[in-house]
Amino acid sequence: MTTTEASGATPARPGMLGTALESARQTLWMLRYRRVLWIVPLALVLLFLFALVVSGRARGSIDGAHLTCVLAWWGLGTVLVPWATLYLGVQAVHGELEDRTSQYLFLRPVRRLPLLLGKWLAVSLVSALIGCAGVVALFLGVGARPDMWSDGLDPSLIGTYALVLTMGAFAYAAAAALFAATFRRPLAWAAFFVVGVQMLAANLPVSAGMRRLTITDPLRRVLLDQLEPTRRLAEDLWPAERAEARELDDLPASLTLQAGSPLVDLITFVVVCLAFASWRYSRTEYESRSRD
Amino acid sequence: MSEARPILEFDGVTKWYGSVAALLDVSFDVRTDVVGLVGKNGVGKSTLMKLAVGLLAPSQGQVRVCGAQAQTLDARARIGFCPDFDRLYEPLSGVEFVAWMLRYHGFSRAAARRRAEEVLAELGLEENMHRRIREYSKGMRQRVRLGQALAHGPSFVLLDEPMTGLDPVARADLSEHIRALPARGVGVLVSSHVLHELEAVVDRVVLVHQGRLLAQGRIGELRERMPDRPHRLRLRASELRALAAELAQWTPVEGVAVREDALEVSLLGQRDFYERLTALGAGWPGGLHEITPLDDDLAAVFGYLVE
Repeated sequence: MTTTEASGATPARPGMLGTALESARQTLWMLRYRRVLWIVPLALVLLFLFALVVSGRARGSIDGAHLTCVLAWWGLGTVLVPWATLYLGVQAVHGELEDRTSQYLFLRPVRRLPLLLGKWLAVSLVSALIGCAGVVALFLGVGARPDMWSDGLDPSLIGTYALVLTMGAFAYAAAAALFAATFRRPLAWAAFFVVGVQMLAANLPVSAGMRRLTITDPLRRVLLDQLEPTRRLAEDLWPAERAEARELDDLPASLTLQAGSPLVDLITFVVVCLAFASWRYSRTEYESRSRD
Repeated sequence: MSEARPILEFDGVTKWYGSVAALLDVSFDVRTDVVGLVGKNGVGKSTLMKLAVGLLAPSQGQVRVCGAQAQTLDARARIGFCPDFDRLYEPLSGVEFVAWMLRYHGFSRAAARRRAEEVLAELGLEENMHRRIREYSKGMRQRVRLGQALAHGPSFVLLDEPMTGLDPVARADLSEHIRALPARGVGVLVSSHVLHELEAVVDRVVLVHQGRLLAQGRIGELRERMPDRPHRLRLRASELRALAAELAQWTPVEGVAVREDALEVSLLGQRDFYERLTALGAGWPGGLHEITPLDDDLAAVFGYLVE
């Protein structure tokens, strides 16, 4: 039967990268069975119809590009992508800890860090895909009325928002990994983070350091930098900054690796979250107390 | 059967959960034999199992697997664990689940699949290995759990309550599989509440009570170490009352009671009792029909020790 002598030459154990990729593959496979993902196509159709209806009502009072930007940021950037990512991330990590199936993974001769990184990667990719598909749906909905676009249809908006939402997906997935590995009620903490911490921080001055503890703030800075918006669009995307919008000009360019740039802030956020999450995940013990 | 070098070693292991001691100064080893882990619920059996597979770290002492600390990757590569909880990756098939686990042991995708199919076929799942796990019966799920524990060719296997939920045929099959493992160089530590089935499978037992190691060894040896506990046996023969009167005269016999159609005899020490009984039986009218020890089994030994 299945024994040491039966196995013959023992295969070389996978390294960090191999383990992370396998973990990502398995997580992606398991995410297929999450029923919540089945409603994504329906949600995209609804998003398209919503954009179509809203643009019909707003025709003549607002530019198509402006409407697309506002809908994409407030609908996708602050609602759909954060919640979808946090939910999927929590399910991928915490769900297995709770039902104990992660024990099967922890018994394998691989480190837990790449297992967690694989899950983070898989959730990030799925969420980014959802975000990008959402942008396309919105763009098509508003773009169905080309007369609203004073400068003609601008497909570059899709690229800009896809970039921002993808960055957001990776960051929210890191936050989800942290909450899932640390807390017994990670979704409650995720809600507190999105509704409490981020909203509170969003109303602080641009110079406030606490903004760097959030995801929306650097994302919004990337977005504004990439869009080069009109003053009205900037105010619609970042209402709390109306009085200080001029300070935006003094901020570092968004996609540089300069200290204080939004990209560096996001990378720092992701690394810190994943470091803590990995520390907690690696120390998870299965005590005799029930986790059910 | 058992080789000199221990595969699993517990050396003065203590595990605290906060201020509660789950295990206190436990030392024993497992070689290439089948060792039964016996104890009531909540005495530290599961903690001991999890320490052995590295899911828990000892507060004091050391747990080694093939010489390596239990929490190292080297140790984990040589361990197979069949846990007692009934959760698996439900949407997958049995073969997919086992193959997924094998990928972390370095098997290529094709080799993992092949190996998973082999193992599950050997465990009697050849016809159902491609069905979804969520459609499996308890026995089939148990085989999948066992399959993931064995597929990578471990040197040491821990089976936590492996008989739970199995029908008698499946239990017999599983017992056969377990018994076959030492011959292939695999040490086994198995826990079960079904003591008479455990007794049929194990070479030795480790008895745990209230976090402490109560005793370890072969069941017969453990029983022999309790001379103050009378051995009890049941005799069936004709002329029961005459036989009772005869036996009551014998030195090691502490008491004789007639129970319906049999005698229950209590012995303090066995010395030459069985030789004398055989001689007596040869000349007894109608002979002795049955001689059954009543308290040489694991349950009795465990009961005496816990008392």
